[in-house]
Amino acid sequence: MKKRVLSVVYMFLITLFFASLVSTVKLLSERKIEFNQAIKLQRIILQVLNIPTEERMAKEDFSRIFKNRVKEIDVEGRTLYVGYEEDGRTIQGYAFPVGGPGFWGPIQGMVGITPDATKVLGIAFIKHSETPGLGGRITETWFLDQFKDLPLYPIEGNQNIFYLGPAGTGKAANELDAITGATNTSSAVEAFLNQDLDYFLKELWGSIEETK
Amino acid sequence: MPTLPPKKEIFLTGLWKDNPVLRQILGICSTLAVTNLMVNTLVMDVGLIFTVCMSSLTVSLLRRYTPMRIRMMVQTLIIASYVIIVDIMIRAYLPDISEALGPYVALIITNCIIMGRCEAFARHNPPVASFIDGLGMSLGYSLVLIAIAFIREPLGFGSLLGFRVMPESFVQWTVMIMAPGAFFTLGIMVWILKYFRPQKGEEKG
Repeated sequence: MKKRVLSVVYMFLITLFFASLVSTVKLLSERKIEFNQAIKLQRIILQVLNIPTEERMAKEDFSRIFKNRVKEIDVEGRTLYVGYEEDGRTIQGYAFPVGGPGFWGPIQGMVGITPDATKVLGIAFIKHSETPGLGGRITETWFLDQFKDLPLYPIEGNQNIFYLGPAGTGKAANELDAITGATNTSSAVEAFLNQDLDYFLKELWGSIEETK
Repeated sequence: MPTLPPKKEIFLTGLWKDNPVLRQILGICSTLAVTNLMVNTLVMDVGLIFTVCMSSLTVSLLRRYTPMRIRMMVQTLIIASYVIIVDIMIRAYLPDISEALGPYVALIITNCIIMGRCEAFARHNPPVASFIDGLGMSLGYSLVLIAIAFIREPLGFGSLLGFRVMPESFVQWTVMIMAPGAFFTLGIMVWILKYFRPQKGEEKG
């Protein structure tokens, strides 16, 4: 009996020790991790709005450019980002979050579109848990760059705004290359992006135009 | 208890003679998963080396006090704590690499090598020897992973550490990017090793 009590006390003490150790490390790095994430979001918004930044720029510079060029607005309960040109008045584009289920877990991304909502300015992914080297390649430049200048129009019937097909087979402007070896991730991206772009055009765009 | 072999011997056993991946076939899951890119492989290696060494050291330090019946729980707790610390550190100081590795850092905890060494060595050997055993084993794991990545990345992506090494006309072997590519590479390596250096009880065949 005594032995069993000892085991419980021992386990309790050792758990307490390691839990405190992990919590301390977590508390000490929390602000740094949050800062990293905030900067990452800002960098991605600037990127999809086509606002030029430099690769090796200090993190504080990103925040400064972001403050000067981007404003957050609320449209029908959704957060949208408005990007302004260098004069601070002319609208350069709108950015809004997109996302949906991927192959392994949720995928979150950001899409930038032109001020007249006719073309995609840029697209980027913020968070995903796709297989590194396979589905994880959705974050690579060649894949994302295909979406630049993609023409936008509201979906009618069972049409799509864009299609992802085997690499090199696409002919039209809305036929893009899928990722070889990651068919499930590609179809997931195709599904939620089409849906979110369509939602933006049909539901949100009207409200934005009214506020102009 | 048999007398402890010299430190160098312990180190070399893990590094080569009893290599965890090639000889003991442990840690295969992460071997198949991260070796398609050299950068991911290197970060995984560093994470594993830290976790194995520190877990072995801690388990060894506590070996006289830990009740036999709950030792597995204690080991899991120790390993999990170190893995979470590695994960937090990478997210705070190497955010880009944290992105690339995604869930794999947290999955270091499932690597059989760590618990294997705690159970087989650290729980009845002194701390310094346990640390060296962990170092040898994790470096042995790292070497094999680097060797596999050295084959997979050039054949699968045509690059090495992100730099192009294959001619433009090279057709990338998609299978090498996927887990089966690692399976073939690893299988061939084990086969070659067993053919030239059979272990006791194995005959050339």
